[in-house]
Amino acid sequence: MVNALSCLLKPKVTSDTVVRDEEVEMMGKEIRCRIDAVFGHSLAIRELDTGSDNAAEIELNNLSNPYYDVERFGITFVASPRHADMLIVTGAVTQNMAIAARKTYDAMPSPKYVVAVGDDACTGGIVAGSYAVLGGADKILPVDMKIPGNPPTPKEILAGLLALMKKAGR
Amino acid sequence: MGRDSAMPQEIILDLIGSSIKEDRLSPGCNGEYYLPVEETEFGPLVTTLASRKCALIGLFCAENFSAGARFTLFYVFEKKTALLVLVRPVDRVATSVARLLPSATWFERECRDGFGIEFDGAFDERRLFLHETYPEGFHPLEKTFRNAPVTLKESVNPEDEYPFRKVNGEGVYQVPVGPVHAGIIEPGHFRFSVIGEKIFNLEIRMFYKHRGIEKLAEGKTPAEVIPLAEAVSGDESVANATAYCCAVEKIAGTVVPDRAWYLRTILLELERIHSHLGDQGGMLVDIGFPLGANQFAVLREDIFRMNATLTGSRFLRGMITIGGLSHDISNEQLESIKPFLRELKKRYRVGLKIVLSTTSVLDRFSPTGVIKKSLLRPLNLTGPIARASGSRGDVRSNHPYGIYETFCPAIRTLYDGDVLARFTVKASEIMDSLDLIERLLASMPDGAVSTPPVIRDGYALSLVESARGQDLCWVWIRNGVVDRYKVRTASFCNWLAIEHAVQGEIVPDFPLINKSLNLSYAGTDL
Repeated sequence: MVNALSCLLKPKVTSDTVVRDEEVEMMGKEIRCRIDAVFGHSLAIRELDTGSDNAAEIELNNLSNPYYDVERFGITFVASPRHADMLIVTGAVTQNMAIAARKTYDAMPSPKYVVAVGDDACTGGIVAGSYAVLGGADKILPVDMKIPGNPPTPKEILAGLLALMKKAGR
Repeated sequence: MGRDSAMPQEIILDLIGSSIKEDRLSPGCNGEYYLPVEETEFGPLVTTLASRKCALIGLFCAENFSAGARFTLFYVFEKKTALLVLVRPVDRVATSVARLLPSATWFERECRDGFGIEFDGAFDERRLFLHETYPEGFHPLEKTFRNAPVTLKESVNPEDEYPFRKVNGEGVYQVPVGPVHAGIIEPGHFRFSVIGEKIFNLEIRMFYKHRGIEKLAEGKTPAEVIPLAEAVSGDESVANATAYCCAVEKIAGTVVPDRAWYLRTILLELERIHSHLGDQGGMLVDIGFPLGANQFAVLREDIFRMNATLTGSRFLRGMITIGGLSHDISNEQLESIKPFLRELKKRYRVGLKIVLSTTSVLDRFSPTGVIKKSLLRPLNLTGPIARASGSRGDVRSNHPYGIYETFCPAIRTLYDGDVLARFTVKASEIMDSLDLIERLLASMPDGAVSTPPVIRDGYALSLVESARGQDLCWVWIRNGVVDRYKVRTASFCNWLAIEHAVQGEIVPDFPLINKSLNLSYAGTDL
């Protein structure tokens, strides 16, 4: 026979989560508030690589590691542009990706935001002027926020997203 | 094993036989040998090399290299420690070697797109890195084309779309995937022909990310090209920058100080560790085992943060320069990473134990996505994926650069060739790299970390073992500027392995097999 009272009173088997980075926690709390207020409790992001060197993707993936774990702040990376509020573009837009990039943007429901992550997505960066690229993401899409860096760190990406949310809330 | 400096030359002389006079063979700057060939002797020679089990590891073109012909094709063959480059002057037409040496298929298509060279007898004449929107007759690597943005058509008629191989038969249906994938992944297109749930055939189409890196390098000073080399593939930044700088240093005969090579080697191995960790984590994500994946994700983030402390860049960028390193890492800093590495090793073992003692993981990993050993040489598969299929090849031991001759890690070979073997080989390599870094830290010499860069005209071939395998680069400097920067990462060759590895597997295993091969899209598309 299980004693219900002892179940309630005994020490809990779960422990508190280790806080790995104080700065991220602070930023996360603010992001959480903004997402609740502006985006109806969740921000769905679709990532689109239009010609990066894959470092920016690695940093975006790192946002889901236990140091950042951005899902707890209300940010999810979704599989389809049809589910997305925001498109994160990495890399300069190559000629070979231009059609796919336009189709991805068109598939998103409005209202939608576009964020360029990394120097190449912001301006064309190191590959600007090549025959094979059109330039930064703003050559074909309406970019709302640029987060420069080679690549930007996860914290810089979070700070950039927060800045966009402040703008969007106004 | 003692290494005789004459050995590579003897291997080559034995290969090419007595029909070609020895004095026609000229040594290059970096241990490779160049052999100019006449059109009449080219065919028989290539047949001999193929039958003598040489691997074609590179084929690229340069303009205005040989007197009397506009283009020159360079065929790079590898046999054990020897590297032989056949120098073949051609005009617009050359005979294809793709039927004899399958790795030539993509190489030839690449030369055709870049320079407009037609390969007689090629079985695949589709375009490679220039997709449908590029006009016919556009060949960006020709010197007559000055690099500038071009305006292309914004849509493609259905009849002009890329023709994939058609697989017909009862019950065969196609599954097109990409170029935009469901996760945070690079773009590429996979065309599956499926029967029921089993993959009958897969054809991959890449180069969506073609940025024109090689053309961008043309006309730049050697130092200006380093950031481009780092941008070839983000998690191979150190490897590609090292390969490039090595070539430039060898051309000028620059001797890089010992301390610089010790530190470069530490950076190269750190890069291998974080790449392997990301890869192993990714494999576990793809089978839905976040407990294991996060063990490795935390370790990887710890390494990224240490990278930033040591070098100012999480991807170790900006460190490798011509002649050494851009700045020193102090002995105090190096001392401080010793306890970190010891701790990392312990924590990695804990993670590894969790993963390898979970039956559902082993069930998904084995025997999934087998790569047969017989594919390795024809496709020039290299790196951990080849070593998991019985290869004993590693640039660090076959063609050692820097201080790898003294500090060569053990070559870890497994024979099953499946996902589990690849996972295990990478695990051993992480441990070996950690050991190697500790050994380097223990014997770190003092002194300068760079010599003033000297630039001389000339050309050199350079190989480096990145986390993914053999990265090849060929640099030709003329009048103090880069005339040709050819880079061929391990992924360029390794990609074709996936078409074979997935046959007979089910579609849901594809992401796992793909991740286990750890292929770089950016490093292939350039």
